Amino acid sequence: MTDTLTAAAPPSCVYDAKDFSSGAHPVWCPGCGDFGVLAALERALAKYGRPPHEVVLVSGIGCSSRLPGYMSTYGFHGVHGRALAAGSGLKLARPDLEVIVVGGDGDGYSIGGNHFIHACRRNPDMLYVVMDNRVYGMTKGQPSPTTEPDWDSDIAPGGIGLRPFNPLAVAIASGANYVARGFSGDPSGLADLIVDGLKWPGFAFIEVLSPCVTFRPEQREWKKMVRPSAMSVEQDRAAATALVLADDGFSLGVLYRGDRASIAPALIPEITTGDVEREFAP
Amino acid sequence: MPRHSIAVVFAGSGGSGAMSAGAVFLRAAARAGYFGMMTQLFGAQVRGGESAALVQIGVEPIEAQPDRFDAFVALDWDKVEQFAAEIPLDETSLIFADPSAGAVPAGIAKSKGRVVALTMSDPGESKIDRALHGKRVNMFAAGCLAALCGLPADDIGGAVESIFGEKGGDVVGANRARALAGVQAAPALALDLKLAPPTHDRRWLISGNQAVALGALRGGVRFVGCYPITPATDLVEWLAPHLLKLGGRLVLGEDELASVNLALGASYGGVPAMTVTSGPGFSLMVESLGLAVAAEIPLVVIDVMRAGPSTGIASKTEQSDVNLAIYGAHGDAPRVVLAPLSVGDCAGTAEYAVYVAEALQVPVIVLSDQMLGQATAVIDPVSDRPPPQSRKTNGAAAGQPFKRYATGGDAVTPMPLPGTPGREWVAEGLTHNEAGLPASGAAMHAAQIHKRARKIREFDAGDRWGEVTGEGDTAILAFGSTVGPAREAARRLAEAGRNVRVIALRLLAPLPAKQLAQALTGVRRVVVIEQNDTGQLYRHLLGHKAVPVDAESVARPGPLPFRPSEIVNYVA
Repeated sequence: MTDTLTAAAPPSCVYDAKDFSSGAHPVWCPGCGDFGVLAALERALAKYGRPPHEVVLVSGIGCSSRLPGYMSTYGFHGVHGRALAAGSGLKLARPDLEVIVVGGDGDGYSIGGNHFIHACRRNPDMLYVVMDNRVYGMTKGQPSPTTEPDWDSDIAPGGIGLRPFNPLAVAIASGANYVARGFSGDPSGLADLIVDGLKWPGFAFIEVLSPCVTFRPEQREWKKMVRPSAMSVEQDRAAATALVLADDGFSLGVLYRGDRASIAPALIPEITTGDVEREFAP
Repeated sequence: MPRHSIAVVFAGSGGSGAMSAGAVFLRAAARAGYFGMMTQLFGAQVRGGESAALVQIGVEPIEAQPDRFDAFVALDWDKVEQFAAEIPLDETSLIFADPSAGAVPAGIAKSKGRVVALTMSDPGESKIDRALHGKRVNMFAAGCLAALCGLPADDIGGAVESIFGEKGGDVVGANRARALAGVQAAPALALDLKLAPPTHDRRWLISGNQAVALGALRGGVRFVGCYPITPATDLVEWLAPHLLKLGGRLVLGEDELASVNLALGASYGGVPAMTVTSGPGFSLMVESLGLAVAAEIPLVVIDVMRAGPSTGIASKTEQSDVNLAIYGAHGDAPRVVLAPLSVGDCAGTAEYAVYVAEALQVPVIVLSDQMLGQATAVIDPVSDRPPPQSRKTNGAAAGQPFKRYATGGDAVTPMPLPGTPGREWVAEGLTHNEAGLPASGAAMHAAQIHKRARKIREFDAGDRWGEVTGEGDTAILAFGSTVGPAREAARRLAEAGRNVRVIALRLLAPLPAKQLAQALTGVRRVVVIEQNDTGQLYRHLLGHKAVPVDAESVARPGPLPFRPSEIVNYVA
């Protein structure tokens, strides 16, 4: 390879949110919550201070997974549900890069549910932002793992009748180091959480309530339901889990911060392939 | 008259140490300067099942299983009969057995081979020692057979030390003592199994799976995502500590869907990356093969094929993933498929796979198989190597808008490493425009499909497409573990005055049309041999008109290996 494999140290220049925008127009419906998340990410990265070329946005498939194309950073728009695996491989191979994985509730909790659990377990030093609208929007309105049991839809008349998945409890139980909830209607507060998550060592998971105004218009009311979390739990997994399970899902803020070590990065080479070949002498 | 080679089976129930006996026998031969190959047979059980080590050693390289075995050594008779169909014996075979183990079972005795009574256990051994360590009849058997073949006692003792060295002095000493007791028991048997004198060149003792791993490391692979699967697991188990010492990383994925994406993420970051699997895992990875094609990300996939479909026979060989490797994916997803020609060639082919993946920014699939992968062979060191891999990362003058997926020019377009200022791009699995943004127009869809097709079409493997041995107007076309038996068959046919050429195909896709046409010049009869029921390679060759329409197909499922005599009988 001709280029360097190590990104330079953060320069001292100051970035503006628009430095992180690609200028491409999102496919999202007018009023989609994901606009707020995109704005929050741009703001947060400007505040965080690493240049766009040292950041990689990784995503799967779904409305929210289109986000990497709207940012001026590097990006990886892969297959449905596997973004965390691709992001983990990238981060482990290139620990010098800032890796941010983004996606939706179907991508992350359903088809990618297993990868979510194991990304938390590996605890790589990267950020995962899920834009949760409790619906499959791109395929026009089917219940996702976080959909309320009685939400009526063509594919599940009268409701899916299943208990919604609790991503925060699963993340805490599985070993994520940083767990928070944000709201797309509060880009400024969300940007603060993102910066906080980027700075926190290990796997940081931010669940963002991001309304789908097209298939879940009632989610416009979320802005009246969210409130700052009354919880001040840090580093106590059992207490944080209990509070998250008891919560109605509208408490915003940091819900858990752990200090578990990340999966180890690669080491400095100690041997050459010539040394390996010598092992084959009989 | 001294023999040029000898084929020996060590068999017994689980825990009898058949594999260790085979390993000592083979390593002793390697130290003495002989070539050799050992394959392994296992029952289905994880622990306690029957097992057999099939070893052939000789003065020339050995690439095929023998038609028959000269010696069968029973460490015990418990369930060993189950292998009778996979271990051909005849009336000239010698059957070594301890009289205390009981009568020779009917399935083995029907060969009418001569039974040689050999007391293998140590009469002086205490009951406690026997309970703790077993009877070590395996070491006695290995020592005795090795001595009968004329291998020096020093090499036999050295092989025991090399294999058991990590287990400490007591274990090494006890095993060596039993092996040397076997050496001392040999003369009294008054059997002549002596091999002709060996050559004494520097050799490697290596399995096909280890050779693939070595080739990948030599090629620059420094990231592996994988999930355990027989018969590929020993490859990654060998690879993991070596990769770590070389400054690389192996990540155990939660499944194959993750494994291939872990590798793709690392590769996007600029680190040559690989995943290792077998058929069932490869089926899961097909989803992301399409992504590697569409987003143009280098990737090496090792498929150590086993009998399928579905779970099939996990521990036994077959060549039935050809269709999946060449065509597996929705949409038009051209890729490169390679197959090693021998245990040693596993190293060269895997290294070449890394080179091609990086050069073309495509997935390259290496179709190994259980027979090659879990065979251990004594070979000449692999010195022929492809050029070092280099990925095209630079391009587009500063100030120009960067177009990752530019069409029209060179089909291989630069993919700058993340971290490079001013070259930010998105690896995109959706149909995309030249800049990499999603696009759904017909013209751009066709342009990008044609760009990717052109990379494959313009790829010329040169001399690495395959190998032609022998002459004659009959050609046997083979790949993977059928190449060895085909070459041995051709050698025997040539000895009988019938010249046959063997075309060993390393590049299965894209088919090397020009080189194949050249290789087939003057050929009047083509026989395509493969170990699957439907003639997957044969149909691929016919579909591309790479062989004449009257080419013949010899296709049968595994797991029994092709034996040279089977091919001789068909061709003759």
